[in-house]
Amino acid sequence: MIAMQDRLGFSFLGAFGSVIPFLCALLGVIVANVPISVSGGIVPPPLLALMPIYYWCLVRPDLMPPFAVFIIGVLEDLLSGSPPGVWTVAFIAAYALVDRERESFAGLGGAGAILGFAAAMLVAGASVYGIIAIYYWNLPPLGPILVEIAVSVVFYIPIVVLLSFVHRRLVGSARSDL
Amino acid sequence: MANGLHRPLRGRGNAQLPLAIVAVLAIVLVLLGKAQSSLFDQARASFTDWTRPALEWVSTPFAGTANWVGNLGHVFNVYQENLQLRQENARLRQWQTAALVLDDRLKRYQLLLNAVPDPALAAITARVIGHASQPFLDTMIIDAGKAQGVKPGEAVVDARGMIGRIFLAGQHTAWIVLLTDLNSRIPVLIQPGNVQAIMAGDNSHNPTLETLAQTAPLKAGGQVVTSGDGGLIPPGLPVGQLVADGDGFRVALLADPASIEDVRIVNFKLPQEQPPAPSPDDLPASAAGLKPEAPPPPAPATTPQATPLAITPLASPHAAVPRNPTLSHAASQTPQQPTVPPQQGAAKPATDDEGDTQ
Repeated sequence: MIAMQDRLGFSFLGAFGSVIPFLCALLGVIVANVPISVSGGIVPPPLLALMPIYYWCLVRPDLMPPFAVFIIGVLEDLLSGSPPGVWTVAFIAAYALVDRERESFAGLGGAGAILGFAAAMLVAGASVYGIIAIYYWNLPPLGPILVEIAVSVVFYIPIVVLLSFVHRRLVGSARSDL
Repeated sequence: MANGLHRPLRGRGNAQLPLAIVAVLAIVLVLLGKAQSSLFDQARASFTDWTRPALEWVSTPFAGTANWVGNLGHVFNVYQENLQLRQENARLRQWQTAALVLDDRLKRYQLLLNAVPDPALAAITARVIGHASQPFLDTMIIDAGKAQGVKPGEAVVDARGMIGRIFLAGQHTAWIVLLTDLNSRIPVLIQPGNVQAIMAGDNSHNPTLETLAQTAPLKAGGQVVTSGDGGLIPPGLPVGQLVADGDGFRVALLADPASIEDVRIVNFKLPQEQPPAPSPDDLPASAAGLKPEAPPPPAPATTPQATPLAITPLASPHAAVPRNPTLSHAASQTPQQPTVPPQQGAAKPATDDEGDTQ
């Protein structure tokens, strides 16, 4: 591997590690939009795609650039059946918030970290609600989006442990080769 | 939690310009989607077709689990529910007897009056292989598509009543927009009284009603059925019952999308309204002293749906079409031209060309 790195001028492990954040978000889009409901439609699926976006925007913003967020948003729109651009705008709004307040969010720990994600989720939810209201020129009920926010925040707790593991074992180690 | 453990390796990313660019792109995407809502439809349909085998394979155990979870609450009041069902069953048996007697009487009256009976609606049965419940979207995916004759706009029913409409048809799969969805708006009739209304989904379990007559007398318990206005959905499909909601009413749907496994897609098309054959006195050609052409023989009915099914033709969009527009147009431009048969009214450009060249 080292010989190939020398010859080609880059590391395969490094390249693989740098796309892992995007692949995690892509996996989140696919899993969240599988049209099968374990709860019988009682609760909506969590917004899994926003979790890697939030996490890596905090810890490795160089691996989660705005264009990647845009592509993930378009895929979420495509697979979820929502009107085009709705989730794209929501993800970019949440990304803009985290990008602006990165120092504050990154310093949070424990329950504070969950609240940080809740703030990003709230911005995304508010964006979606606003666009849908303008799109249909009708105020939709607030209940479904509040449930979506709550479910996503609850699911963030186990997912962030997984993302942290991936970051330490795959992304971090791969980057150390550089 | 983990945020405190992993400090950012770099400072604030230089993402301001790219962020502004993608923000503009996203807003453009929303505007494009508003202008052309079918922007992603082809890609969605292709993706669903592609994932159909996997969905079919995975959906069965998940549907079983979802049913089990959904029915968990019923375990605690199974005794009360059983009593209620026994009473309801006894009441329904009485109604069944009355319905059979009335049905028999109706058939005899139709025979006496030589009335055309309502045609049986053709339907395609399909299995539900997916149920997507997003905050502002409530849809189902079925394993029948264009290859099986499914078309967008068709009504979807289960054994109890209507559950939604087809809004996207792939080759072997189709998406159903449920009646509870924010996008759903269907014309309905409320009985008794035949009050016309629009039933609109708002992502709650019970859709809202917008009555067309402001002083329409409504009562809780009234039956809601489809009106058939617009010609896409057959009239008379059971939808639900009126329930009071504050000062207004909502519709408690008969069908329960959470427990549906098989659905039927009703193939219905309102017959094209044909303008009446003109009498010789109506024609400007007669007034000019020219002999009009004999009216053509009536076109034979090709499909069972071509029989007069329209119960509210005045409210349908076809009623807004002016009577025999081609005839008046041709007559005003070329008085020497003999009358155009009403069945050829759709060939307006050809008639215009002929008129211009002559």
